[in-house]
Amino acid sequence: MTLQRASRPVAQCIRQSSSTLHARTLATTTIEPSSTDAAPPPPSDPFSHTRNPFTASTPAAEKQLAQQKQRPVGSRRRRAALSSTTQIPFTQLPYQAFQEARAFLQEDRREKLEAIGLQRVKLVRLQDQVVVGEQDGEVERRKQREKDNRVRSMGRRLEEMKVMADINDPMVKKKFEDGQGDMTKPIYRHLADAQWRSYKRQILVQRLTQMNVIPDVLPALEPIVSTGLAFPTTSSTTPARSRLKRVQHGDFVSSTLSSQPPTLWIQPYNKGTRLCTVAVVNPDVPNVEKDGFDHRCHFLAVNIPISPINTRVRLGELGSTSENKGDVLLPWLPAYAQKGAPYQRMSIIVLEQPSPTLTPILTTLLGAVAESQELDAESASQDPRYNVRDGFNLRSFVDRYGLKAVGADLFRTKWDEGTAGVMQQAGIVGWDVEFRRKRVEPLPYQRKASERYR
Amino acid sequence: MPLTHPKAPSMATLACLQFALSTLRTTHHAVPAITHITRRNASHQAQGRANGAKDGAGKRLGAKKTGGEYVVPGNILFRQRGTHWFPGDNCFMGRDHTIHAGSPGYVRYYQDPARHPKRKFIGIVFEKTQSLPQPTHAARRRQLGMLAYQMPTPPQPETTPDEHSAAPTKSRDGTTVSIRNSKMNPGGLQLTLGPGYQYRQSNYEIGRSGDKKEAAANAKGKTIRAFAKFKPGDRFAAWRKSVVRVARSRERKVMGRGGKGGAKKKG
Repeated sequence: MTLQRASRPVAQCIRQSSSTLHARTLATTTIEPSSTDAAPPPPSDPFSHTRNPFTASTPAAEKQLAQQKQRPVGSRRRRAALSSTTQIPFTQLPYQAFQEARAFLQEDRREKLEAIGLQRVKLVRLQDQVVVGEQDGEVERRKQREKDNRVRSMGRRLEEMKVMADINDPMVKKKFEDGQGDMTKPIYRHLADAQWRSYKRQILVQRLTQMNVIPDVLPALEPIVSTGLAFPTTSSTTPARSRLKRVQHGDFVSSTLSSQPPTLWIQPYNKGTRLCTVAVVNPDVPNVEKDGFDHRCHFLAVNIPISPINTRVRLGELGSTSENKGDVLLPWLPAYAQKGAPYQRMSIIVLEQPSPTLTPILTTLLGAVAESQELDAESASQDPRYNVRDGFNLRSFVDRYGLKAVGADLFRTKWDEGTAGVMQQAGIVGWDVEFRRKRVEPLPYQRKASERYR
Repeated sequence: MPLTHPKAPSMATLACLQFALSTLRTTHHAVPAITHITRRNASHQAQGRANGAKDGAGKRLGAKKTGGEYVVPGNILFRQRGTHWFPGDNCFMGRDHTIHAGSPGYVRYYQDPARHPKRKFIGIVFEKTQSLPQPTHAARRRQLGMLAYQMPTPPQPETTPDEHSAAPTKSRDGTTVSIRNSKMNPGGLQLTLGPGYQYRQSNYEIGRSGDKKEAAANAKGKTIRAFAKFKPGDRFAAWRKSVVRVARSRERKVMGRGGKGGAKKKG
């Protein structure tokens, strides 16, 4: 309160002389307004009908904001503070140490931008170099390999420098934390990746390893893209309005919910559009003859374009609409587990299709997009190994088409009241089959004479 | 006589007071008494500890099935205090760290550095030729151990419920059952079966009921609020509103804001 009162004359002064702000600074060096310095939210008009997501803090205001189909930005405390304090942009706060620090950081950013320019020039010069070998053999190949390594490492260094230039900017941090980061920019991708890796990715890897998806479905999997899964719910009262029910990694999903094809969000953290394959494999199908388990493919689709800004994949609408591009080889089969059988793990594996060898180098140079190869859906659907659901071998599929596992999701299914109905509707044989434990003969042991010891 | 400052008592007065107080004192200790240090002499050296723990009978701990033996589920493989051996593949551990077989097969004693660098495991393999630990990155060896039977009374497949049917209806995710039309629910509310076997409206529905009624009234151009429009200067309306508000807050205080409180305050 005292701070507010103390800063009021200064704030008034700044507001009045906002046009000459750049000339009248408190720092020794000039301050340039950064590009991310957003204009402060305007003071809320008491008679306006639209609510500001930055300043709505009362329950009534939040309710009206929800009616406008908007989400509040930031914590309630922050929103209350913003609505009650004077509207000075954060970057123009009149504290000398703060402004000096800002000036220092901006100078550092300028140096980094110069270094980025130099690095780009170096990279172009390196690419222009031609490898000459005495013999057309091993020496030339080794030199070419070394050159490729250097180009790749320079490209990686260039990406790092781009992130380092913006990482100290408090407005960038604020924008990211408000959920307004632009995923086409490397800094926001880097921050989102770091946030995912700090917690949610660890949970995902824990679920995949503890539930043994990793040795059973694929030998190894390092998630690079983050995934999210949701199933549509249809209420009997309002069938037109279907909502999405989010599923956490490893959750049990009821059979009625998983009878509809889900929506999968795939978020990559490196730039460019690449083509992906999505396979949903169930490795726990009981097989009584071999006293073991089989694999079944519940969904297979190829050539799905994924980019940092286009992340939503509606598995039920792939190929049918222009927004959802992709070739479906095996449409969605509802997840089911027969009565008495143990719970079944439904693993959703995201595989990246390979790109031709030349373009990774050009990617780093020109910032061009790595073109993934399109998988021939026609020939894949003719292949007898991969057009049947039962006995589908994902390891073989991955090897055949040179795919790379980049992401995964997991949900589990078990017998519940709706499973029989779901199986009947889908025309699956065996909805009235139940599994019971096999009786194992006890080992022979010496029996005593008396009946009492039977 | 002019008033003087109260003087400090003389030494004689102090001595008299001290003597008087000392007679009234109950305790006379000025210095704590020196306690005698207890000593026990070793008069019975040969017997030593008369009430100490004696070495008990042997508990027959150790391995009960050797490596390679055929076992069935439940067989005890190793008895131990603590976990000298850990349960590996297809084995489980009881409450006293006894390791049992979980499936029929052959016993294997092994180490698995990938699982733990120092621990020793006891596991079961299904065939005599197999060994443990299983190769890394390979699909695990698993046994179903079940048989398929025809269900004696197959479950009735669900039919789409009629809006006006008296039968209970399933909720959106198919997990709860609700009553719509019945004698017990004349209002036609969506009552779902919750934990505690109680048919009730969910809390968020109760919370939203007011908003829903207001929205329905707004759609007809009306409002359910008692004082719809604010008329500045109408003191009578303002007084009526404040009377209602004071009564409601008093009632809320008496009832308590959910849970124990209000009427149940300690006297």
